[in-house]
Amino acid sequence: MGETVSVTIKNLAKKYGETVAVENLNLEIKEGEFFILLGPSGCGKSTTLLCLAGLLKPDSGEIWLGDELVTSVERDVYVPPQGRGVAMMFQDYALYPHMTVFKNIAFPLEVGGKSRQDVETRVKATAELLGISPLLDRKPKQLSGGQRQRVALGRAIVREPKLFLLDEPLANLDAKLRVYMRAELKKLHQKLGTTTMYVTHDQVEAMSIGDRIAVQKDGVLQQVGRPEEVYDSPRNMFVAGFIGSPAMNMLEGTLVKKDENIGIDLGISMFELPNWAKEAVREAERSEVVLGIRPEHIAITKKYQKNAVEAKVSFLELIGRELHVHLTAGEKTLIAIAKPTQRLDVGQQVWLTFDEKKIHIFDKKTEEALI
Amino acid sequence: MFPKPERIILYILLSFFMFISVLPLWTCIMTSLKTMKDVIYTMPVQPPPSPTLEPMREAFDIMKRPLLNSFAFTLFATIFSCILGSINGYILTKIRFRGSEIVFLLLAIGIFIPYQTVLIPLVMTMSSLGLYNRIEGLILTHTAYGIPICTLLFRNFYEDIPDSLIRAAKTDGAGTWTIYRRIILPLSSPMFAVAGVFQFTSIWNDFLFGLVLARGTEALPASVALANLKGTTTAFWNVQMAGAWWYALPVVIIYLILGKYLIRGYMAGAVKG
Repeated sequence: MGETVSVTIKNLAKKYGETVAVENLNLEIKEGEFFILLGPSGCGKSTTLLCLAGLLKPDSGEIWLGDELVTSVERDVYVPPQGRGVAMMFQDYALYPHMTVFKNIAFPLEVGGKSRQDVETRVKATAELLGISPLLDRKPKQLSGGQRQRVALGRAIVREPKLFLLDEPLANLDAKLRVYMRAELKKLHQKLGTTTMYVTHDQVEAMSIGDRIAVQKDGVLQQVGRPEEVYDSPRNMFVAGFIGSPAMNMLEGTLVKKDENIGIDLGISMFELPNWAKEAVREAERSEVVLGIRPEHIAITKKYQKNAVEAKVSFLELIGRELHVHLTAGEKTLIAIAKPTQRLDVGQQVWLTFDEKKIHIFDKKTEEALI
Repeated sequence: MFPKPERIILYILLSFFMFISVLPLWTCIMTSLKTMKDVIYTMPVQPPPSPTLEPMREAFDIMKRPLLNSFAFTLFATIFSCILGSINGYILTKIRFRGSEIVFLLLAIGIFIPYQTVLIPLVMTMSSLGLYNRIEGLILTHTAYGIPICTLLFRNFYEDIPDSLIRAAKTDGAGTWTIYRRIILPLSSPMFAVAGVFQFTSIWNDFLFGLVLARGTEALPASVALANLKGTTTAFWNVQMAGAWWYALPVVIIYLILGKYLIRGYMAGAVKG
């Protein structure tokens, strides 16, 4: 299919009145990459997308598509959306309600002045690719959510855009269809190879289909990396807490240094740090820290273990193949994932052992990761 | 099963009000079918003892040119004001520009300016443009006076069209006018029916502008011609009533044709989605 481009965003900023939507954003998206912009609602990810599409003028910064400068506030460059060769898909699909599916998909081609013959062949090929050929004569009103989504997708890919922008494309679908369409999108991307920028607030979606993920919060970029990087080594407490479900357990404590040993006083017990972590925290300025541990890295035992934390089972949730164990340790609450076969009772006294290789330590004040 | 007493009272009340509202229409029809002699010797509400279509014919002879005039300028002014209102509404809601809110506010003020205040400058302007006593002058005046209300109607209608539709069209490569022609215009038909009926009725019914902007027969509107039917010495009630029927006919026809769209259009504005 058509040529595709890399995307470079330099110092992008946008304010709505006093509200900062995007603050000094710098991103490099490689050619052909499936790039995810992840963050809670109102974090500025849609604003970023609109700036890329040319539907919104930023307050400052530059946007490059390949080696073409399309937006630069400083150099007064602004290529309108119709001149960018960028396709965008919207959360509400934005299908033209008065046109048939055929007309909807044909619209970008007709506007682009393609011949009737050409339009017909390409619309049909696209419909074939997405499996919506039988729907071509219907109006959007007569389609289900999933079908509308495909039509919107068809309208976006039919003119072979250089860049493909998707704004929460799966948000309006039911859970089952969402999982299915997620895989379809990924397959489609593999087939077309078009650089794709995908905005979502759903971390599961992001983890499962992204080549790389950028986590954004309050307009500020938190971390960029491959899904496993972001999951395994979150750079701060926000990323750590936002990615992963159930969320990472966060335990506040104080660093205690004694001879060669360093531990974290969690209030309920002392957690001794493994050797690899010691070096990193030895130079820490502050002793107020937060210990992070993912639910799947907690082992529950009924007998005392070395360096274990004592806790009580408060309630159990059996979710398919996983047993989510809600625990209280002193004032703190934790969640651990156990096998459904493990016998546990509510109110039971247990010991929690943290996987030493998988712990995270954050500075409580700056929320930055120390290790 | 007998209806409840409150129901019975309700029906009696409704029948009474219906009687009151239908009475003038009834009187009008009856009188228009009477000879002058019958008009004098019978009660206005009585049916004609010797029915005749002569008053209808006579009224039509006098009214046909003014009816044609009225129809011409009403039709064109309705079309122009609706199209301009639609374009304004589109620009004000979907394109927006610095100060568009103020522009809209100023336009909306136009709705509340009484006709009487502009009469003298209007006549002066029209005569200096050479449009006094011309159909074109009436078209221009009614179009201009219709823009504010049409803009308001279309603007409110377009507020409900999602912005993502416009954004999608822009990324699909469409410019401002292509979006208007291919997306906005086809979606506006219910509003064109509403604004069209509204404009047609109010322009057709206008008396004041017609009175001051036209003389003689060339551009005389039907509303003014109807008033002239009253005569100077004798009142030919039957001809006047017949003239009133001719005058009402086009608006009634328009309403019958577009009525269903009208209700649909109002509903579309009332409930989203």
